[in-house]
Amino acid sequence: MTTTADVRTQVLEANRRAAEALRQRFAREGTLALNLISSPGAGKTTLLEATLAALAPRFKVGVLVGDVATERDAERIRRLGLPAYQILTGGACHLDARQVEGALAQAGFGALDLLFIENVGNLICPTNYDLGEDFKVVLLSLTEGDDKPSKYPAIFARAQVALLTKMDLAPVVEFDLEGVERQIRTLNPRGEIFRLSARSGEGMEAWCRRLERQLAAKRG
Amino acid sequence: MHETGIALEILRVSQETVARQGGGRLVRVKVAVGELSAVEPELLGYAWEAATAGTSAQGAALEVAFCPATERCPSCGPVPRPPGVWVPSCPSCGLPLQVEGGMELDLLQVEFEPDGGGRDHDS
Repeated sequence: MTTTADVRTQVLEANRRAAEALRQRFAREGTLALNLISSPGAGKTTLLEATLAALAPRFKVGVLVGDVATERDAERIRRLGLPAYQILTGGACHLDARQVEGALAQAGFGALDLLFIENVGNLICPTNYDLGEDFKVVLLSLTEGDDKPSKYPAIFARAQVALLTKMDLAPVVEFDLEGVERQIRTLNPRGEIFRLSARSGEGMEAWCRRLERQLAAKRG
Repeated sequence: MHETGIALEILRVSQETVARQGGGRLVRVKVAVGELSAVEPELLGYAWEAATAGTSAQGAALEVAFCPATERCPSCGPVPRPPGVWVPSCPSCGLPLQVEGGMELDLLQVEFEPDGGGRDHDS
């Protein structure tokens, strides 16, 4: 004789609760929090270096970086004289809201204007884990090929902002920019798309202004 | 391969549900997995076997209700699509299609044998 119970809860309910607590904290402290997601090598850290160079003089910024191993990415940010904390996942393919909570306690950033959370390089696993961010940012570099939004639809459907990175390589790689943007718009009709290159600076101003606008709106 | 972590969460939430209802042995768990959930149902099945092995839930069935995403034309309405394929534009009017749904990753139902084999927990 068995009993059946209807549950109807999210599988990742514990993560959702932790993410909600983070979201309330970010709202209280007036912090704009971003969750950066891409495959390895799409240019998350390089984008951060260029973004921070533009914004750090006027805003209090902090960076959490998730990687399976090494402090390399956090060191790159610290070299700019900015606070960064490395989360070593030891093999795990994504960050979890509870790891972010713990890392923030360890990092001791204080109240920030902008918190960048650089997720583990992976287009699949981080998709489902809410980190309390204001929005997810997905990066797709031109060298990865122009079929990726259709192949990895889950993250492109969820990320409010998609960044097409390494635009300086456009003349040497065959990449159908309009086609990729159509794929992204199909998956995410309300999403925003920016074309940029951290190396040449193309598109960086529009991207940074986008962040400033939302930070101002969040602080009313 | 994040399905392992997800299988462990399914097991944890299911066991909590059973405990809240007076305890017992898990027999079957039903989850909804959306096409855009970034979870592969077959891998989730293997991960479930591994997560439950050696626990009181060993042998419990994991039933996956797969929820496909749908595509809609802003003017003509829903457009049928073959599984796993994104149709870029409406076959009737040519407008770009928009994807909806398929984000589910939910625990729907838990079936268990109550402790003592009684019928005290039917509510």
